[in-house]
Amino acid sequence: MNISLTINGREHDISCEPHDSLRKVLRGAGFYSVRYGSDTGETGAAAVLVDGDLMSADVMLAAQAQGHAIETIEGMSRPGELHPIQQAFIDTGAIQSGYSTPATVLAAKALIEQNPDPTETEVRDALSGILDRETGYLRPVHAVLRAAAAMRGETPESIDVVLLDPLVGNDGVHTDREGITAIAPRVVPGVDIPETRVVGKPETKVDAIKLAKGNPAFTDDVDVHGMLYAKVLYSPHAHARIVSIDDSKARALPGVHAVLHHENVPRVRYASGGQSYPNPLPYDQVSFDDKVRFVGDRVAAVAADTEEIALAALDLIDVEYEVLPAVFDENEAILDGAPVIHDEPDMEGAHDASHNIVHHLTADTESVETGFAAADRVFEQTMRVHQVHAAPIEPHIAIAAWDSDERLVITSSTQVPFHVRRMLAPLIGLPAKRIRIIKPRIGGGFGVKQEMLVEDIVAHLTIATGRPVRLELTREEEFESSRTRHPQTVTFKTGVDTDGKLTAQEMRIVANTGPYGTHGLTVQMVSGLRGLSSYNCPAKRFDCKVAYTNLPVPGAYRGYGAPQAIYALEVHMEDIAHELGMDPIEFRRLNWTGVGDPLDIAQQLGEGDQDADVMPLVTSSGLEEAVAQGARAIEWDRRNDPEWKQPSDRPHIRRGLGFAMMMHGTAIPGLDMGGASLKINDDGSFNLLVGATDLGTGSDTVLAQIAAEVVGVGTDDIIVYASDTDMTPFDTGAYASSTTYISGMATKRAAEQVREQIVARAALLLETDQSSIDLHDSAAWAPGGRSVSHETIALSTLHQAGQHQIMATASYVSPESPPPYAAQFAEVEVDVDTGQVTVNSLTMAVDCGVPINPVTAAGQVEGGMVQALGYGHCEEMAYDEDGRLVNRTFGPYKIYRADEMPELEAILVQTMEPSGPFGAKAIAEIPKDGVAPAIRNAIADATGARIADIPFTPERVWRALQDV
Amino acid sequence: MIRTYVRPNTLAEALDLLADPDAGVLAGGTDLNGDAVGAPSVVVDLQSLGLDAIVSDGALLRIGATATIQALADVESGPPLLRDLAVREAPNTIRNAATVGGTIGSSDPESELLAGLLLFDAAVTLAGTEATTDVALGDILDDPELLAESIITHVTVSTDGTGASERTGRTPKDRPIVMVAGRMTTDGSIHLVATGVAANPTRIDADALDELDPPGDFRGSPEYRTHLAEVLTKRVIGRLEGGRT
Repeated sequence: MNISLTINGREHDISCEPHDSLRKVLRGAGFYSVRYGSDTGETGAAAVLVDGDLMSADVMLAAQAQGHAIETIEGMSRPGELHPIQQAFIDTGAIQSGYSTPATVLAAKALIEQNPDPTETEVRDALSGILDRETGYLRPVHAVLRAAAAMRGETPESIDVVLLDPLVGNDGVHTDREGITAIAPRVVPGVDIPETRVVGKPETKVDAIKLAKGNPAFTDDVDVHGMLYAKVLYSPHAHARIVSIDDSKARALPGVHAVLHHENVPRVRYASGGQSYPNPLPYDQVSFDDKVRFVGDRVAAVAADTEEIALAALDLIDVEYEVLPAVFDENEAILDGAPVIHDEPDMEGAHDASHNIVHHLTADTESVETGFAAADRVFEQTMRVHQVHAAPIEPHIAIAAWDSDERLVITSSTQVPFHVRRMLAPLIGLPAKRIRIIKPRIGGGFGVKQEMLVEDIVAHLTIATGRPVRLELTREEEFESSRTRHPQTVTFKTGVDTDGKLTAQEMRIVANTGPYGTHGLTVQMVSGLRGLSSYNCPAKRFDCKVAYTNLPVPGAYRGYGAPQAIYALEVHMEDIAHELGMDPIEFRRLNWTGVGDPLDIAQQLGEGDQDADVMPLVTSSGLEEAVAQGARAIEWDRRNDPEWKQPSDRPHIRRGLGFAMMMHGTAIPGLDMGGASLKINDDGSFNLLVGATDLGTGSDTVLAQIAAEVVGVGTDDIIVYASDTDMTPFDTGAYASSTTYISGMATKRAAEQVREQIVARAALLLETDQSSIDLHDSAAWAPGGRSVSHETIALSTLHQAGQHQIMATASYVSPESPPPYAAQFAEVEVDVDTGQVTVNSLTMAVDCGVPINPVTAAGQVEGGMVQALGYGHCEEMAYDEDGRLVNRTFGPYKIYRADEMPELEAILVQTMEPSGPFGAKAIAEIPKDGVAPAIRNAIADATGARIADIPFTPERVWRALQDV
Repeated sequence: MIRTYVRPNTLAEALDLLADPDAGVLAGGTDLNGDAVGAPSVVVDLQSLGLDAIVSDGALLRIGATATIQALADVESGPPLLRDLAVREAPNTIRNAATVGGTIGSSDPESELLAGLLLFDAAVTLAGTEATTDVALGDILDDPELLAESIITHVTVSTDGTGASERTGRTPKDRPIVMVAGRMTTDGSIHLVATGVAANPTRIDADALDELDPPGDFRGSPEYRTHLAEVLTKRVIGRLEGGRT
């Protein structure tokens, strides 16, 4: 049908199908800011204004919109300009991946036009339909308030960094917390931190403008002539053999170009986890198999002229299944007689496939038996941690195409472009040199995109058809067929002496890796590492069985085994303190690691190439300060106030405060590698080429700041390009909290070499010796104030004399993994009649070394805490008895909305980490570790109910309360 | 899948179109358009029929079928509880498009707004080719076939009395596991409705809660839902009798 739409004040005549959504039609007309999050409207990524009101374009037909005024963000500002709302989003650090930023900015516009002076509650309601998996909503909400104030002509609230007085060793004046605005980054200055000009400053994100304006930047915005659309047929059974597959009717459907399945795709073994060479065993996958092992496993893939034709073709593929018994529980899966999930003869590398045991990991230091014998008391506790989804708003998407050199170019929303290139090559029978992977902006990853999940499908289909092929997962497919967090049954056993010191600690895990190993080994290694590193203990033992089951596949998800381990550990430590009658923080303090303490279990649970004779030691820790700052912010003393804990006007309410201590790692020592290239341009600006993949975290900005600091320019003189296997140096990718530390050090080293080259030419031009030259403000300065600009130096070296390109490439691998430390506090209210838990506030004080950018660092903490809140409180993948996921949309799969958030506070405690770039350690994952145990411990403080399993949904808490 | 879209300008025209057995009503579309498989092949969009007015005459509120949920939330003369339940029904991206008639037509089994309409004695006016009839909302929830080949033109609710609601969910704005809403009319009698305790929003009797037979799912077993209905009912009655809203 033909319709006429009024978009941003202009008439557009459009031909579309009656069922086409407004989102599809707007994107087709070039309005790429309207983004896909789901077909059912609940993500809000496609929200637009219709007659001035915010509506989800997913669930509006284009035909319905005829006759109405449609506004998208493209209408808000011209090139080179920013609307005040966009400016406020940039200034406040409200943008992470930016995928849903256009919708959020439009929500703000609609609100402010109808209500120029909105309250925070009104702002939160205005954003209630746009799900944000990244920021925790704090900065977007305050961006809207700031924009409204600016548009009213008022002075907006301060967003300047607030320096908090240290509390440890300070008996004097403490910073007055009154008047500190919600989003002003809080930094507790460390000692011996060198002065810097760009590093440590709240610099604007280098990709802020394109994201604030909704410019095309994501994989979905790539339009290739002649593109075909792929759809995948997924298994309806949890475990079945494919007896026969008949694709003849599908192939005969006009518009279908290829139908691929196990009968026509070569059988090449691989592991889909995006990891360094050689990928950890087992190799238990092939692109298409004759057996399916979970509901959502691949059966076949189709490429067709349109998505509709591809979907119709899926219905025409006749598959006959022999349904097999399935097993979902990790403890049942490893029993004799359980269904064997991998019985194929070419299966490689499982510990005992006939018992579904993929791995059996063990590690120990001194004898735990001796340690338990020496203990005054021994405590043992078993907990179950469940399965959740990373759920980035941008689902997996990849586009493959042959280029003019007949090389296969794949644009993909991936965290690991270099791993994908290497892993893909054998599957499709091409050498790596004929494959190029390009990572554009990514709409959130959180680990689930540390996987070669869809790239092999588009590659096979492009090879089969000769045509560009695009595959984007729907929300339902993303939930069911991508990757999840590993469920585990975790047991801790701990011996404690009469002084409250640990004598022995044992951690036993039965982990559930679904039907494929992918990250099954390394996630569980991290669980052991994190579970047995926080506290000093002379004897430690780790024992872990990783089980195959028929659940959807667990993989990498931000935290990577640590949230499971730290949950179990911090519940266990809390309950031991309770049993001993000790203060929960004091008991931990007696045992927690500090500077100089050994990280002994790391020697055995490291993946990388480490020197077995060198015991890694803690080299920096701000934990004491973090605990003090967090306790002050949450008003920890209220634990002792009965009036507060049991409010007299609300008889069914109990309040409580909870704590968890966290220690994480920074990159994988001896393994993770990052590379960076830096070159000067005519005007004294620089191109920084990095293989690192910014998922929205701000890592491109952090790397630019590091380069800018070294070569003496502003961040805006560093043009970042990342990442592209043809154009940028190698990087293992965005995972393991490595980018700032590893890629940052590579960037620093490249910049230092460039600095030397600049200084050498400056010394010639200034006729002084190199050692006396200082670089800052885009110029080289000699003593006495004489200077020569970077532009002059660039022009001199590129055009005038002794010509050469000032440039350098460097890479970095770290021999160590310095731990960031953090203190997590939570305040909850429990309705003791219903079991409903309301989380009122979350405060995290974290030592991430020197935060290179306090705004993006705070954003990592705020957003990470909210994902972790979902893990502990409300998110769960639920199944029917046949293993079918029953909650495949947001809503039933509950993530927090803007209008129901607890208060959030992030406090950055500076320490100087000697091994990090400008003193930095990691921050991306540690916010995922402590929220669930802090909430659990707060529930115990409020009610006395000591719950073992997460999440703390009302019925679970109510049942636990019946036993108190 | 939707194959034909039509936007009639008169009710008569719309009813003619709906005589086609493949045709169905398109209201806001927020539910229907997200369901590619279940949608009718011909959709009759009601937006041009002028059915979006909300009129109050004091004792009654007449809500046009295509009035949005947000419009209902904004009606100052509406019962505060009903307005609150409208806000709770969906986030603003959906409230701005979804309609009151569509809420009845799509009949979400856990809809708080449907429960609220039920509580305020909603009478649903159905226009058919033969006649226009008023049907109690509860009857439609029991038998959705009553809507066949007809168009909801408006919904009339009583505004009498005071209201209160209580709910339990995973998070503050989660669709509740169980919600109980109550209304004390000026004669002093208390009326109750609930979600999460039956296949649809339903009236409940405070003295017969043990007769409930709730469905169970991963958020709440039947036993737990029955317990919640008891706790929340007691609280709602307490608030109504205490005069608080």
